[in-house]
Amino acid sequence: MSLHPPPEHEHAEHTPGAAGYLLVWLALVVLATVTLFASRAVTGGWGLMVAFAIASAKAALVVAFFMHLAGGRPIHRIAFSVAMAFLVLLVIGVLADVGTRSVASSYVDEAGLPVE
Amino acid sequence: MSAAATSRVHVQYDSLERQHDTARLGMWVFLGSESLLFAGLFALYAAYRFAYPVEFHAASAHANLVIGTINTYILLTSSLTMALAIHATRRGRRRETVAFLAATIAFGLGFDVLKIVEYAGHLAEGLAPGDYYAFTALPAHGVVLYVTLYYLLTGLHALHVTGGVCVLVWLALRAQRGDFTPQSHIALELGGLYWHLVDLVWIFLWPLLYLIR
Repeated sequence: MSLHPPPEHEHAEHTPGAAGYLLVWLALVVLATVTLFASRAVTGGWGLMVAFAIASAKAALVVAFFMHLAGGRPIHRIAFSVAMAFLVLLVIGVLADVGTRSVASSYVDEAGLPVE
Repeated sequence: MSAAATSRVHVQYDSLERQHDTARLGMWVFLGSESLLFAGLFALYAAYRFAYPVEFHAASAHANLVIGTINTYILLTSSLTMALAIHATRRGRRRETVAFLAATIAFGLGFDVLKIVEYAGHLAEGLAPGDYYAFTALPAHGVVLYVTLYYLLTGLHALHVTGGVCVLVWLALRAQRGDFTPQSHIALELGGLYWHLVDLVWIFLWPLLYLIR
């Protein structure tokens, strides 16, 4: 006797197919090329933001379609999302720390060497 | 393990589909912890980049952008061939599966070879991690932190690529033997998920190490 309803065999149905995979790959190649040119055109803090935004979009494409998370079971999305949430928390926490240390910069001179 | 062994429903599951879903869940949890392993190093990179923005900028100009970019396209394409290998298995096309797995293995090996060429070039220039730093064009201060993180991040990633290639060779041999059926090929699926994670990590490494300006 089964305690749960039987799974709906989602995996076999919800895959992008060969044409879909090719389309995702094409999008990834285009985005990589955009990243390359944007890194030359946009400099400084914005350049990093643009590069990071495009990288996140590429990662989302890979996870959703190549790794079938979009068509997979919700529990798989929950498991991976929790890890991603903690990853973002870790990076935000570190950035919030080092990004707000206005005091620390006064301890180094122009050459970046520590001042006693 | 033979095809019969892998497609057998274990006693605690009421269907092969549920058994496979459980294996997938385990894999996603593993991939989550793998991501956090790299996240620690990414956070370290963020912290040091904030502390030494000028030095990181100057150091990244000496990264091998050509090889880094070629490797980006190689890994993106290897993810496509991996997805197509599983797609071929779902359609019951054994020879196609083996061919796409062989292509993925070739891309992985190509990535490793280019990485070795890149490392050799850096080491010849004196761009070595930690105390071994001997690059004359830039003072070590701050720059050595970028260089050390570069080796840590790309080295850990290259180990994952190499491990992934080993898994793919095993999967290709099993596919050749006819172990995978359209209904039951969970090992191939999990190996594929691992390979895509290797691609995912590089998607972030490439802009952070090669493209920062």
